[in-house]
Amino acid sequence: MAQSLAKEFTKGLWAEMPPFRLVLGLCPVLAVTKSVENGIGMGVATTFVLVFSNLLVSLLRNIIPAKVRIACFIVIIATFVTIVELMMQAYAYQLFLKLGIFIPLIVVNCIVLGRSEAFASKNGPIVSVADGLGIGIGFTMSLASLGAVREFLGNGTLTIWEGLPVFSMGPDFIPFRFMLEAPGAFVGLGLMLFLMNLIPQK
Amino acid sequence: MSDLFVLAISCIFINNILLAQFLGQCPFLGTSKKMETAVGMGMAVIFVLVMAGIITWIVDVYLLKALNVEYLRTVSFILVIASLVQFVEMFLKKSIPALYAGLGIFLPLITTNCAVMGVCLINIKEEYSFLQAVIASFAYAVGFALALILFAGVRERVDLGRVPKPLQDTSIGLVTAGIIALTFMSFKGMV
Amino acid sequence: MREMISMIVVLTVLTAVSGGLLAKVQSSTEVQIENQVLKFQKAPAIKSIFPDVANDPIADRFTVEADDMKLQVFPTKLSDGSKAVAFETKGTGFGGPVGLMVAVNLDSDKVIDVRMTTHAETPGIGTKAKDDLSFVSQFTALPVMDTNFNLKGSGGVIDAISGATVTSNAICLAAVNAKEIYQKLKPEIIKQMK
Repeated sequence: MAQSLAKEFTKGLWAEMPPFRLVLGLCPVLAVTKSVENGIGMGVATTFVLVFSNLLVSLLRNIIPAKVRIACFIVIIATFVTIVELMMQAYAYQLFLKLGIFIPLIVVNCIVLGRSEAFASKNGPIVSVADGLGIGIGFTMSLASLGAVREFLGNGTLTIWEGLPVFSMGPDFIPFRFMLEAPGAFVGLGLMLFLMNLIPQK
Repeated sequence: MSDLFVLAISCIFINNILLAQFLGQCPFLGTSKKMETAVGMGMAVIFVLVMAGIITWIVDVYLLKALNVEYLRTVSFILVIASLVQFVEMFLKKSIPALYAGLGIFLPLITTNCAVMGVCLINIKEEYSFLQAVIASFAYAVGFALALILFAGVRERVDLGRVPKPLQDTSIGLVTAGIIALTFMSFKGMV
Repeated sequence: MREMISMIVVLTVLTAVSGGLLAKVQSSTEVQIENQVLKFQKAPAIKSIFPDVANDPIADRFTVEADDMKLQVFPTKLSDGSKAVAFETKGTGFGGPVGLMVAVNLDSDKVIDVRMTTHAETPGIGTKAKDDLSFVSQFTALPVMDTNFNLKGSGGVIDAISGATVTSNAICLAAVNAKEIYQKLKPEIIKQMK
């Protein structure tokens, strides 16, 4: 039991790490990774939704009729997304302003619906939570690492919380602004995927 | 009138939904390997997005705002879009089989296409009037189709080249998309 | 038939529970969210307009009502002893809403200063107007009651920022709204000022 739990949890951290291994849910990955802070914020919000929607879908998996299951999953996910949205407005307003429309859009993030359909609807609640947590943390790490690359090259800083850089290259650093613009997101993610592909998979 | 024209131009080019707003990336990378699928997906999005834009605008203004329950926006929009897609699919299958043959397989993918949901939310967030919302939905969808088709054209060519193995597929696709996004950046400051 | 019923029942119950839960969360976060909007959107604008006044305009805020208009007003007293208020308006022109904090001297009816409070997400367009103080300073000292706050192109007195005409226009629309609101609500505001 404990072994399979650990397995479901860790697969999200590497073997099925979205979006590098599982190329899904790219919109927020490209859009919000202008800084590490935004990446972590988005990742945590997505993880919250993943864990709770996985839990609920798994608990209700025997009650939900097969034909309307997608509709039910969507209602469950949308509910948690709205809770996250309200909570962020109440307690992390600046972050909410930065992430903007991408918070409500977690609802159409393929990763979340994908986990409900492919995993939680077939497995028990505890494993499903482990799965959601693992995938969510993997997603957060990807967002944070892409955010770190883009923020470092594009602005010469690394910011973790409330807009305060924990690391700065100082005023002599000439930032590579391209990385903060839209094309930089595509190229940055493309090259990171390339680096991931260089590491052989077992 | 000129305002609406400016709005359309800015939605198609400057704020292009795929290359500047980053909405709808899954179909952008998923259906752009072949020109045919790109065209099919582009048309299906135009079709659904305009309808979804109109319906969600009406739902928001006459239902959610009127009843003061704006916090139900996410839930109701996604339900509206999901049922709309289902309905369109059934309707096309029965009434216009020729069109269904072309668009059919793309329709289920549209429910989780954040471009559709995203534009519906943008329409509300920017407080567009009804006419503006219709124009914006259409223009964003056209921008989606345009970028997707351009991208598919380039991608077909890239596939003919010798791409190193680790860079193949999505990786080189993203870099290509970055270069196309760079060309779209030149539209900035036009309005 | 049975299946049909169970489908409808499950979906209805689920949606109802979700609606109820959200209503609960919404009502319990409402006050906190309003505080956050005050703190992060309105307060910076007010503080930058009234950098050194004796009172705290945010803590002293009050709401005035007339006809069907409602307005949150931030009152203060200037160093020369005249009374002043700041309030927020919106320019809902094309290109999305722009929030504008407008401060008016109640004794002379002149604009003290204006600041943008929200800016459109559109990259590069809105931010320029927010950073460019020479644009908003055009509003300073204009008499509220009889100025046409539109852009010069539309018969007004304001110069647009080059490359950000859309936002400039939205700000001007917000100022025009402010004029209308001020004309209507001034008696109410004075009545409630201490």
